[in-house]
Amino acid sequence: MNRFAWINTKSVSEAAVSASATVADLMIAPSIVSNHGETSVVKAGGIDLLDLMKEDLLAPERIVNLRDIPGLDAISEDPNGGLRIGATATLAAVADHAVIRRRYPALADAVGGSASPQIRHVATLGGNLLQRPRCWYFRAAEFRCLRKGGGHCFAIPGENQYHAIFDNQACAIVHPSTAATVLVALGATVELTDAGNAVRRILLEEFFVPPSRDLQRENDLKPREIMTAIRLPPLAGDVRMAHLKQGEKDSFDWPLADVAVLLHLSPDGGCKSAAVILGAAAPVPYRAKAAEQALAGRAIDEAVARQAGKAALDGATPLAKNSYKLPLFETLVRRAVLKAVSGPSRG
Amino acid sequence: MPVDSATRSETFPFGIASVGLGGAERQVPIDEPPPLPPNAELAVIGKPVPRQNARAKVTGATHFTVDVAPSGMLYGRILRSPLPHARIRSIDVTAAAGFPGVRAVLAVAQPDDPVLGVARYTGAPIAAVAASSMAVAEAALRLIRVDYQPLPFVVDMDAARAPDAPQVHDDESAPAGHPSGFPAAADLPLQGNIRGPHITRRGDIAKGFAEAAVVVEGQYRTQVQTHCCLEPHVIVADWRADGLTVHMSTQFTAGVRHELAEAFNLPLNRVRVVVDGMGGGFGSKSTLSTYGKIAVALSRQTNAPVRVMLDRQEEQMDAGNRPGTWQRLRIGAKRDGSLTAISLVSYGTAGVALGGGVGNVAESMYACPNFEGAQHDVFINAGPGCAMRAPGNTPGALGFEQAIDELAERLSLDPVVLRDRIDLSPVRREERRIGAERIGWRGRHAPGADPGPVKRGLGMAQSLWMANVQVNSACEVRILRDGSVEVLSSVQDIGTGIGTVMAQTVAEVLGLHTEDITVRIGDTEFPAGSPSYGSRTTASMTPPARTAAWRVLPTLFHEAAPALNAAPEDLIARGGRVAVKNDAGRSMGFREAAAQLRTDRISAVASRSDDYGGFRRRMGDAALAQQDLGGAQFAAVAVDTETGIVRVERVVAVQDCGRPINPLQLESQVHGGVLMGLSYALFEERILDQHTGRMVNPNLEQYKLAGPRETPQIDVVVLENYQGRSATDAYGIAEPSNIATAPAIANAVYNATGVRMRNLPMTPAAVLAALGKIPTRS
Amino acid sequence: MIEAASAMVKPAEAAESSGPATVGPEAASITLKINGMVQTLKVEPRMTLAEALRGPLGLTGTKIACNRGACSACTVWIDGAPICSCMVLAIDVNARNVTTIEGLAHGGRLHPVQSAFIEHDALQCGFCTPGMIMSCAALLEQTPSPKADDVRAAISGHYCRCGTYPHVIAAALSAAQSRKA
Repeated sequence: MNRFAWINTKSVSEAAVSASATVADLMIAPSIVSNHGETSVVKAGGIDLLDLMKEDLLAPERIVNLRDIPGLDAISEDPNGGLRIGATATLAAVADHAVIRRRYPALADAVGGSASPQIRHVATLGGNLLQRPRCWYFRAAEFRCLRKGGGHCFAIPGENQYHAIFDNQACAIVHPSTAATVLVALGATVELTDAGNAVRRILLEEFFVPPSRDLQRENDLKPREIMTAIRLPPLAGDVRMAHLKQGEKDSFDWPLADVAVLLHLSPDGGCKSAAVILGAAAPVPYRAKAAEQALAGRAIDEAVARQAGKAALDGATPLAKNSYKLPLFETLVRRAVLKAVSGPSRG
Repeated sequence: MPVDSATRSETFPFGIASVGLGGAERQVPIDEPPPLPPNAELAVIGKPVPRQNARAKVTGATHFTVDVAPSGMLYGRILRSPLPHARIRSIDVTAAAGFPGVRAVLAVAQPDDPVLGVARYTGAPIAAVAASSMAVAEAALRLIRVDYQPLPFVVDMDAARAPDAPQVHDDESAPAGHPSGFPAAADLPLQGNIRGPHITRRGDIAKGFAEAAVVVEGQYRTQVQTHCCLEPHVIVADWRADGLTVHMSTQFTAGVRHELAEAFNLPLNRVRVVVDGMGGGFGSKSTLSTYGKIAVALSRQTNAPVRVMLDRQEEQMDAGNRPGTWQRLRIGAKRDGSLTAISLVSYGTAGVALGGGVGNVAESMYACPNFEGAQHDVFINAGPGCAMRAPGNTPGALGFEQAIDELAERLSLDPVVLRDRIDLSPVRREERRIGAERIGWRGRHAPGADPGPVKRGLGMAQSLWMANVQVNSACEVRILRDGSVEVLSSVQDIGTGIGTVMAQTVAEVLGLHTEDITVRIGDTEFPAGSPSYGSRTTASMTPPARTAAWRVLPTLFHEAAPALNAAPEDLIARGGRVAVKNDAGRSMGFREAAAQLRTDRISAVASRSDDYGGFRRRMGDAALAQQDLGGAQFAAVAVDTETGIVRVERVVAVQDCGRPINPLQLESQVHGGVLMGLSYALFEERILDQHTGRMVNPNLEQYKLAGPRETPQIDVVVLENYQGRSATDAYGIAEPSNIATAPAIANAVYNATGVRMRNLPMTPAAVLAALGKIPTRS
Repeated sequence: MIEAASAMVKPAEAAESSGPATVGPEAASITLKINGMVQTLKVEPRMTLAEALRGPLGLTGTKIACNRGACSACTVWIDGAPICSCMVLAIDVNARNVTTIEGLAHGGRLHPVQSAFIEHDALQCGFCTPGMIMSCAALLEQTPSPKADDVRAAISGHYCRCGTYPHVIAAALSAAQSRKA
């Protein structure tokens, strides 16, 4: 790693002032400097940051530490019945939280099944949402790919077995956060605070940015914005949820496919509306609208779940090495729908 | 061996203990001990003794080479080619040499030299620096200016076979074969990128196939696998006026010492190689290698100790790999199963170096009068291979044992029954019998019979491995006046626990506990021991350990006898005491007996003699025992046919290793072989980007290794298979336990799904494709 | 339920701060609490905890194998929680307690997990062993009566090429039993 100066901040505005650029910005334009004339980025858990720096993809002259900002990791109930998760709450704290386990178990599952115990004790939910893609061309400094400001995407003509099956014409990354799959299904919003303590709130689903809008950033984070919280809306009525993922291995692996399903059921047990979100399918968490439509207004049984599974892959454009993801997602959607509907209500 | 090689006749226990033991008569050199009884009659050998260096390892006290940091140590770092094939026009090290903290720079590649002036794979060493810190070394590397002229390259084995493919080697640069045939035979023709064929034949396969009632044919592919040792390749070289000392994570201290003496023109007695803790080798750390030479050269240049340690990316790209293979097998048989002909054609690639053969499984496992094998090596612009846990036979068994399975089905014979008919080995017969019973083979159903999406199945396969012995292995046993005992050799413990089994062997002779023996190994100051590869360490080291202990004991008896009022030949050592035979009342403690020694220390050195009755073959310092090693493994899998996930639920591994010395350690070894085989079957693959020739997963995150959640229940049975061939009759197990796992799993997947997986790894993508689950799109 | 996208809240006046203290990039003095002992050492901000332990602190029991948090060989505890020390900066540890493999045994007495590892031969080359033991020992603090799947979950981040997993699981379960006895 390069030599850098270390700033241990005690407030969000202090951190926002000290940072010169987002990680994504700095990877494209390595000389965006701060007021102090140095390139600097913020660090929460530091898991993704250290990985990028060790791979020589990023060399900030300063690192601004968020980890010690009091209260930024707090998990608290909102008066409206929702939950506010401080952005520097660790994945372990989120997975172990009693309210999350009881009310939003799909999130606890997704977060608790991510990575390894060691990583979960350090990585934060905010960092998890903001982490850069795992595409092996992106992660290798020797490949100057489109997303890093270069000329073309190496995955599309190359080794794309782990890459996107939707929205993959320009850049074929998949969004790496399993938590994001569930949070989008839950309708979560994120809070972004700037140096003046102004707070911007945006639906997480809209915070993620597809390649068509921005080829070089996965999200809408502005320079000098710090993600400060993730907010989960309250669950009203009969709400069922499930998250399933499948990696090549069960021990410590990125998913080949993951699915989050959220069902709003009516009193007679039929499905009023559904959210079906696919992770590891597209550059952003992918809302399978056709699958949602296949479920809405129906009483969910094996046959309906099967239809939803098929519909979820409508419009998929697999690459040379990843069409296996089609039957895999079809299976996971079907199983997640059935798992959700057979579980208790969380509302 | 003494000049007077007089022998005496002895009767040894012979046979498989679980079947029934008889006797075998052997001629034993007169300076070697009498036959060792079967384990049931022994005090320490054959018992599950805790590893003697375990306490140091569990407390973090063991020093691995990565932990060695002598004062003044410099950090070496290697600059590597970013291109898969390039001519090196010039290397300018001026800026690097002038960088503060840099103490030496050397060029490894030689510009414009037809052999050394060409980088033939991404990661090939170009230059190296030694500096005051890793950070300075890394910064200095960035200052080295290399002028590369890119050349056309090829990284796909099939593409490399085409006559118009870019040529990786010419006759001058191509690595030479070896008269031993490993890793590749000598004097094979090179045409384009294909070296070979290496042909072995017996009988007449045309005639054999004509006689066959049934012929099965299949093509198989195995992937390139990397070693993934946890401790990277690392060396600390300290060149001084009075000699060279090298700490190295190595599988062969004595061999590296020879290589150093030769490479740097030093007398052997001025070269010392040392290793204490050693974090895994699996075949990749058997030689001095380029990085080792670089460290020594830098140390000589700087007059300071220099450490060169590969990072994980270098480990994945340039520390060796198991060649990938393509095989075509044809097997002809009569209706009753007897084989009439076997034809094998294979192509294997180990990048720019090494042979990519598929071993001798097809040739030697079963009785078949007619055989022809044509094995070829294919060079591609990728990192050089290295022997990896049962080279050749591991990929070879994946194809061959599946082909045999296929034959069994065609003949409507149970796969175990077919093998009972064609396998001449009584040891493997017993292994099949035990394994079949343990796994519940009788309950095996027809392929694909399970109704649900999750389908279960059983499969089995066998392994064959030649029992290697290193003849130039020696060991010293010392008894000190305070009663302490040492066993010493340059042999190294790479995780297999050789120190413990040597201590057990010595303890058995001296009537002591294993923990009474101090083990001093991993240092070429001690008598030269064997390498830790080829599963030969136990076979090579435990006989001289026993013999040395047996030779030093009479001296102790001679000096202690007067105190017991007895003749030395009437004394025995047992239960921690020295006693008069048949007179329990007259004895003294071992320590008391040692106190009678005239001098502070007595010792005896012994070297590994030839196997009693001779070896099957001798190749320089190495030899093959007459009987092969092997095993039978049975796997139970559950295949989720909707996700393509294969779960191995249980493996029963029945192996033989002559006389098992430490069942606890042997079980660990077999676990290791099975897990590595499982990981090879399901997850691992070195993946190269075809357009740039670069490895895209040079790490432990996207190069996938089996973890705790992929670990099945593993039942290990190790036979006692006495042959009476040496002072301990003990042989190795590491490689034999790695060979059969992947084909056993593949055969189980066939039994579960009715679909045969002919290519590794069996990823969900591969399984779903084989099951026809992937939609074809226009 | 769903908030309006990109709702902007009127900002308060940004407080002008004098700027937080900057350390480095040159080496600076830090204090760490390692195995109950306070240690002062000079580190550059870029030095990881693993490098600090193995280098200036001379505690080489903690191993670095992948340096990316992918293999867990470098596992130590921070305030009792297992973390990959190669992915934590030494300067970020501050007042928290660090426990390494060297701090597990007390006096000459091995931790029950260490004894169980010896008894069940849960080690071979030993390179992954210190980290593996730290994870198993942490598990027993959290879950005194673990099942096999709990052990698998606790060690799910660990790579062992020698294949010790079955014996590690047996050792951890056995250590749990012996602690209760």
